[in-house]
Amino acid sequence: MASDSNLGYNDDVMERFASETAALVERLRSFSLLDGGLPYYRDNASAAEPTLLAALALSVSGAPAERAKPLLAWAQKLQNPDGSVGVDPGHRDQGVWLTALAAIVLHHFGLAENAKRALDFLISMRSVTGPKDPRLRQDDTLTGWPWVPGTFGWVEPTAWSLIALRLSGLGGHPRAEEGARFLWDRQIPSGGWNYGNPALDGKELLPFWDTTGLTLVALHGHGDPKRVGASLELMEKNQGKIESLSGLSWAVLCLQGYGRDAGRSRVRLLDVMGSLRDEEFHAGNFALGLIALSGKKVLIP
Amino acid sequence: MKRREFLKNTVVLANAAAFGGRTYGAQQASVPCTVTLLPMPDYGRDMEKEIAAIMAGDGLALKGKKVLLKPNFVESHPERPINTNPSVIAGVAHACLRLGAAQVIVGEASGHRRDPWFSVLNPSLRSILDKKVRCVDLNHGDAVAVPNKGGLTGLPHFYLAKPVAEADVLISLPKMKTHHWVGVTMCLKNLFGVLPGIYYGWPKNLLHYRGIERSILDLARTVKVHYSIIDGVVGMEGDGPIMGKAKPVGALVLSPFPLAADSTAARLMGFDPQKIFYLVQAGRFLQGLRQQDVVIRGERPGRFATRFDCLEEFKGMRGGPFF
Repeated sequence: MASDSNLGYNDDVMERFASETAALVERLRSFSLLDGGLPYYRDNASAAEPTLLAALALSVSGAPAERAKPLLAWAQKLQNPDGSVGVDPGHRDQGVWLTALAAIVLHHFGLAENAKRALDFLISMRSVTGPKDPRLRQDDTLTGWPWVPGTFGWVEPTAWSLIALRLSGLGGHPRAEEGARFLWDRQIPSGGWNYGNPALDGKELLPFWDTTGLTLVALHGHGDPKRVGASLELMEKNQGKIESLSGLSWAVLCLQGYGRDAGRSRVRLLDVMGSLRDEEFHAGNFALGLIALSGKKVLIP
Repeated sequence: MKRREFLKNTVVLANAAAFGGRTYGAQQASVPCTVTLLPMPDYGRDMEKEIAAIMAGDGLALKGKKVLLKPNFVESHPERPINTNPSVIAGVAHACLRLGAAQVIVGEASGHRRDPWFSVLNPSLRSILDKKVRCVDLNHGDAVAVPNKGGLTGLPHFYLAKPVAEADVLISLPKMKTHHWVGVTMCLKNLFGVLPGIYYGWPKNLLHYRGIERSILDLARTVKVHYSIIDGVVGMEGDGPIMGKAKPVGALVLSPFPLAADSTAARLMGFDPQKIFYLVQAGRFLQGLRQQDVVIRGERPGRFATRFDCLEEFKGMRGGPFF
């Protein structure tokens, strides 16, 4: 069990986490399919994202190493010759934005050759750019990462790609530097990030908890810490309002990463994970919750 | 792409040759398309029985069928009427059970929100649904590649969420809204939400890149909508579909003909569907564009007809009075 005495939580929270983790891990494992992977939801086929996140979750939750092996083997088989990783074996060329997560997980497990191929693919995948438009509050000349090759860049695939590059020691690569600039540029002036645009038609858009947490994680330690101040404050102040598994997981991951108090989110996350019904059990988000609860900063570059 | 560029492209697209030489032929022949206007002054009323009666009257056979309800949950904002109201979804879901549906699924692939808590897995919806109704996040899960029957986007396939591909009956449940790219968004535009985000992203930028109107038309050719119910109890005017303001209309618009539902709702909003490019193009393969093709049942339309505020660019789409 991956309790972390540096997290600053009181003993009750840590004790509860310690006592409940094994059951949560087993619930996640109960979604494993015979092919070695995990589906997003029950009655679906194995898919890359939940499988990769589950492997990472098992690792940081202290599960025996052999339990992650089938998941990793499944993911390795999914990797295409060009290094990309798609949605699932039936759609290997679709959803290759998932290559960033694959690179993170393959690197974590020391699968260097697979990770390198994934990173090479990521570096080659560029978002479409456009001319600078003074009427917009964003700089479309910046290259980030798209969801689908040949389209514009968006916050989430750019943040995952940046994490992958930085964790692999490529934080100084020009693509990583420009990716970080892309994310800074998309920050909503009053704090946080949504899916991609800080404003639309001159009006600020609402920040999302998941993309705000993810982007804060991706930008951790990059540049002047004051630049994330408003976003971090937003997340810290609003953590009591977050109710979803995904939002809470990202709140805990980013607040812990920045050494802020994530106690309320952590307790709430445990509550949510313990009460999910099967139809709302998103295995990828559940695995992310386990990573957050572990306190291990495996996604912090 | 900026709106001004988009609109410029739309004008170009109005020339059929700009569709890559592909056209849909002449407008569909005139047939009577029934559209029912159900008065609904607010969301507090139980609408199950009335909706069931109208659907049955329209010949919608649901006994033993797998039904997928596709609401619109594109985005979540506490103060804006962006999404199909949960009470409308519940009313329709329970009406489907009343009519003998074997399985009722409420499914959505939210366009902006990856977190399913902000879409069909939100407790505000799930808590008012019968336990026999399943809520399914279509963004994450299995998909089925189906050939694109339209061909305007150049995409060879669409990856449909599996529950959509496996449904016997698809019921579109959009919100009555203006749209900052295409004028209005209702049943046909709502089809973007049958495509999983893990394939298309958040937002579904690939479809924007290939052309929103082309994508709407290709999807409308490829995915059969068996019934449409537009939530016009409170619509959205102005800078829709996200940033606009509430516009109470006080009606549900029900029809077995998605284009007739969209066209009628557009007229209720004060827009001329014959000036809305993608609706006109859809009229080449779907019935119900022209007012003379539509038979309105239920409440008289003049009671609900209004004038939705819209962005300057779309004022040329206005028309009427129609009723």
